[in-house]
Amino acid sequence: MKLCEFLRPASLSAARDNLRELGTKGMILAGGTALHFMQDHTPVTAVDITRLGLSYIRPDGNFYRIGATTPLSDIQRYRAPRWAMHEICRRISTHQIRNVSTIGGNICRVFPWADLPVVLLAMNARMVVYSDHENEYSADEYFATQPAKRFLDGNILTSVKVPALQAHHGFGSVKVSRTTAAFSMVTIAAVLELDGSIIQSARIAAGSAIPFPRRLPNVEAALVGKEAVSEVFKEASTKAARDVPWRSCEGQSPEYSQHLAEVSILDALERAATFAHGRAE
Amino acid sequence: MKKNPQTVQFTINGESKTFITEPDEKLLDLLRREGYKGAKFGCGQGTCGSCTVLMDGRAVYSCLLYAMQVEGHEIRTIESIGTHDNPSEFQQELIDGGAVQCGYCIPGMIMSATALMENETHFDDETVREYMDGNLCRCTGYEKIWSALRRVLDRQEAQNTQS
Repeated sequence: MKLCEFLRPASLSAARDNLRELGTKGMILAGGTALHFMQDHTPVTAVDITRLGLSYIRPDGNFYRIGATTPLSDIQRYRAPRWAMHEICRRISTHQIRNVSTIGGNICRVFPWADLPVVLLAMNARMVVYSDHENEYSADEYFATQPAKRFLDGNILTSVKVPALQAHHGFGSVKVSRTTAAFSMVTIAAVLELDGSIIQSARIAAGSAIPFPRRLPNVEAALVGKEAVSEVFKEASTKAARDVPWRSCEGQSPEYSQHLAEVSILDALERAATFAHGRAE
Repeated sequence: MKKNPQTVQFTINGESKTFITEPDEKLLDLLRREGYKGAKFGCGQGTCGSCTVLMDGRAVYSCLLYAMQVEGHEIRTIESIGTHDNPSEFQQELIDGGAVQCGYCIPGMIMSATALMENETHFDDETVREYMDGNLCRCTGYEKIWSALRRVLDRQEAQNTQS
């Protein structure tokens, strides 16, 4: 992406005014790492929102609220009771990238291999978007299509509200990649709500090796009302093929992608069950 | 494209400076143009780590930062770490251990190690790998670099324990 001008608005409303005025010639900059890889060389004006106080993590009722320009390394290092976001952030790219890349940048324009949308879908997070007032979108609504479309009229993602997991909730995520810093081959995230050993509800999401991150409703349906044991998890994971056609990527066949997904779902569910039963923080 | 010079002010190795830049100029290009040639251009896409510098004490790839982004921040390059006659402890260990072949990756390695040593107090292998896994070396196979770093970290951790 070619930058022809660089603006540092002093407020959210000024940033929105800049973006509305610029239209397609404006590009919001939250961390900026992705801009270097965009193939469109049409000159654009960068609107830097990193100085607007949007870098924070704080408890907010039943949620943890994460500011849109919070670097991934801050999310990785944050600790709080039953906080789980650090696990996936540790697995995203390298230390140097995580120090610059932000949660907002990661989820405003979603690439097929992005890990955070998968986790946020499973966790039923809520995205807060500033227009002339704040609107909240559930993860299901927000990630139903490419979120970038939501920001064409100058709206700005300001924060992400991640539900604080309750004592009977469990979270597990798995990212498969060839090297630590490589893009994901398959990413799976699972949240289980247990009543004793019975699964009351399940949210399972997948990314990479499919066109766009999404939930796996057939896998979820195969879990609800069942006992949280390996046999059930294994049976549920075989439903992944019904939810989405797994595709080839980076030399792996569609069959291999599907197999990788099934194994990863099983692993994520085991981790979620362990978490729900009380893991070491 | 029409040139659009802008100014950017930041602290570089302890000195506050103002530079003329372009909105599209990468921090790495500005640094090298201004004589800070220790940061190297390798992959240019945030993979190899040879351009690593510190921004407010955190390791970042200067090839993936626009110069305009560092306004008001504190940047440190390899030029702030040691000299030929007075190398830092890690630099001396690299020399003593024969850990440098072509040397292209070493400034980035040292900057990542500096971030590690300045931000952490315990240096278990997982933490060290986390800080260093964004730096590639195509010559040495890492073993000697790792051993040199480990010697420095073990000494530092022992000092931390005593004090």
